[in-house]
Parts: sequence; C-alpha cells; structure tokens
Amino acid sequence: MIYLDSAATTLQKPPAVARAAAWAVGNLASPGRGGHLPARRAAETAFACRQAAADLFGMESPEQVVFTFNATHGLNIAIRSLVKPGDRVLISPWEHNAVTRPLHALGAEIMVAKAPLFDRQGLLDAFEAGLEADPAAVVCTHVSNVFGFILPIEEIAALCRRRRIPLIVDASQSAGCLPVRQGKLGAAFIAMPGHKGLYGPQGTGLLLCAGEAVPLIQGGTGSASALQTMPDYLPDRLEAGTHNLPGIAGLLAGLRYVTARTPETIGRREGALIRRAAQGLARLPHVKAFQARDPACQSGVLSFQVEGMDCEAVGETLSRRGIAVRAGLHCAPLAHENAGTLEAGTVRASVSDFNTPAEVDRFVWEVSRLVQSSR
Amino acid sequence: MVYYLIVCRSLTYAQRTAAALERAGITARILRSPKLIDREGCSHSVKVAERSLTNALVILNRAGLNPKRIFLQAEDGGYREVGL
Repeated sequence: MIYLDSAATTLQKPPAVARAAAWAVGNLASPGRGGHLPARRAAETAFACRQAAADLFGMESPEQVVFTFNATHGLNIAIRSLVKPGDRVLISPWEHNAVTRPLHALGAEIMVAKAPLFDRQGLLDAFEAGLEADPAAVVCTHVSNVFGFILPIEEIAALCRRRRIPLIVDASQSAGCLPVRQGKLGAAFIAMPGHKGLYGPQGTGLLLCAGEAVPLIQGGTGSASALQTMPDYLPDRLEAGTHNLPGIAGLLAGLRYVTARTPETIGRREGALIRRAAQGLARLPHVKAFQARDPACQSGVLSFQVEGMDCEAVGETLSRRGIAVRAGLHCAPLAHENAGTLEAGTVRASVSDFNTPAEVDRFVWEVSRLVQSSR
Repeated sequence: MVYYLIVCRSLTYAQRTAAALERAGITARILRSPKLIDREGCSHSVKVAERSLTNALVILNRAGLNPKRIFLQAEDGGYREVGL
C-alpha cells in the first residue's frame, strides 16, 4: 500500500519508535510514583522526552512541555485556560474542529479572519482588522490540515504580541516539518500531536505552555498528594493520572529522528513530493488540484477533486488500488466553507518523510486511470 | 555519612536540578523525599554530599533553579532544615 494520509497519522515510523514503545511496556512503570528502578527509568524517559521537545521547539524549560493524548487534548486545555464563556475569540478560517468545537462549547463569540486560500497578505490584513475588536485570545493553526496552506504564523504572532493578546497555535500539521519556535512566536500555548510529524505512537501529544494553564482534569500527580487541589506548577498541574509511557518512549525516539533530520530538511522533502503530485494532477483533465502558486505557502498536504465524482468514491477506488488517502471534510468544515468546497468535500493526499517520488507517480497514475474509467 | 537533601517542587524540577549539578561534576541523586520532611505529601529531593552543598547552591543559583527547602541528614538518621 502507498500511504498518503500522514496528515491524519504517520504510519511509517523510524524503527526505533516501535522498539522503544515495545520495550517500555515491560520495563517502564509510572514516573514519580515510586523510587524503584522501573519508576526511575520511566522518570528518566519522560524527562528526556520533555528535554528533547524543549530543545526542538525552543522552550526555556522542560517543565513547560506537557504530555497530552493528542493535539485536541492540548488545544482544549489551552482554550479553557484563556477563554471564558462569552469571550470574543479571533480565529483563522482554516481551523479544525479541535478548535471550533471547544470554542462553541464554551459559548465564545467566534470571529473569523477571512481571506482566500493561499492568500497570506489577505489573511494578515484580516487578522489585523480582527484584532481591533480586542479579542480575549487568538487561536490559529500553523498549517491547514485540508489544503496544506502554511499560514504566516510569525507575522500573526507579532500582531498579537503588539496588542498583548494571547495566542494559541495549533501546530498539528507543522510540528516536525516546519520550524516551530515558541521563543520566536511568543505564543501562550502551542499544541501538537505526537503521532503525525513527530513520528510518535498514537495517543501522544505535547502542549508547550508559556501562559497560565488551567487543568482540564484533576487527579493524582505523584506530587503534593496531601493537598486537594492540583499543584500550581507545571507539568504536574496539567498531567493528572498515569502517563502513557509506551507512547512517550516512542515519541522520544520520534523526536530524536526529527531532530537529527531537522524539520527544515523534512519539510523541503515533503514539499517537493507534494509539488510533484500537484503538477501530475494538474496535467489530468477533470481534476482540480488545490495548489499554491508560491511553493513556500504549501506543506506536504494537497487537496483535489475529480469532476463529476463523489470525493468518497474517489477515496474508495484509490483504496482498492492500494493508495491510502482521506476524503470528505477532514474535520474542518470551516476550512472547506472558506475554500468553497463544503458541499463537495475534497480528497486529500498527504506525505511524510518516508514517501518516495515513485509512490507519488504511482498515485498520479492511479488517479488518471480512475478519471479515464469514470468517463 | 552526612548529606543534604534539596527538596524540589516537582519530579521534573528535581530532574533539572540533578542534571545541572551532574553537568558541573557534582554527584546528585533523585529520590522521593522522606515522609518526615515532606510537608505536602509526595515530593522529590536531590541528594548531594555534605561537601558539595555550597558549590551546588552556587550552580543552582546560576542556573535559576531555586530549591524549595534543604535538609541535612545527620548520621543518627534525623533531619534538620537548613536556612536558605
């Protein structure tokens, strides 16, 4: 099978990831919950993972690196920490339901900084105008999970800093393949999954915290146990309950892989693969590929449509032919609405560092076969 | 043997403390704080030799790491808090 659904989860991982996770199952206990060897080893693994993430993402201290179960978990913590019911919140038009649903649930007044797809300047202008309304917070994805649009996050962060409005960054599609530096952005929170561009196992995520955080769940932390309130220090404040140590051990291996390769190198490789796919699809009749004119605006994610075919039917057919893509709305109806694809949806191909040009060519060829057979 | 226990606010803080000391060549071991000195229930301390404390405090101060409290464990097994 050719796996082109890495925007959901990377499937091919560095071999060290599975080895580390399997070793952890029989060798690592709960960090901080005992003084015995398996607990000490677990503590060392967790600390090494925090430190690796702090180094990669420019955090001052590993204590600011909080383990979550996925990016959605981290985004929920961040949003709950900064947004009260009725607060005004400014978001990009490319947000995932992981952002919009928690905001709706809180009863926030959501303002969308609207601009056309791949229009960085238009988006900046919309954010600048939206910030005039003095929102309580800004939530912005770094890269659209549907179209691979790389948002001008550094410039948006600078606008927020100028107005002292806290920023939450969803780095779900950028962590591991684009430079993400908390110190440079000055964001209050940056949420990311461990199982996508960081090549960790599912059930892992990181929340980088520079702001005051409010726990989403309460429980045991292995610290200050006599108190009936959550500790007021990180990471304990946000990490109630037993850690996912097999996941964390795997994530550490993934972080080491990304650090050694560098996100810039991985991003360049993925960008080249997706341009190859886009150029191949653009040559096909009856196929519309959503490609940025400026390659610097698009990551390793590409949406396309086949005229006269339901996107789910395209996904199904490709799946039968050994190509894994994702069709539909990609949990991001707001992004589809903004791009004018809400009714029809799109088919999304997304690559990782493990895909090859030959796989991309085979994918394009299978789409061309599909188009021919549908006429 | 007499040694000091540097009580830290969290396990991660204790790990940062121990790492800073080890980097400077001071042997530092993390352990769960003895119940006798643990006011809030469940904390971690970094154990250093008696002769290393002064140096350790200089290093921690330079690294911006603040011990919560420090205890001296005497040869009789008792603990005595040391003023910071």
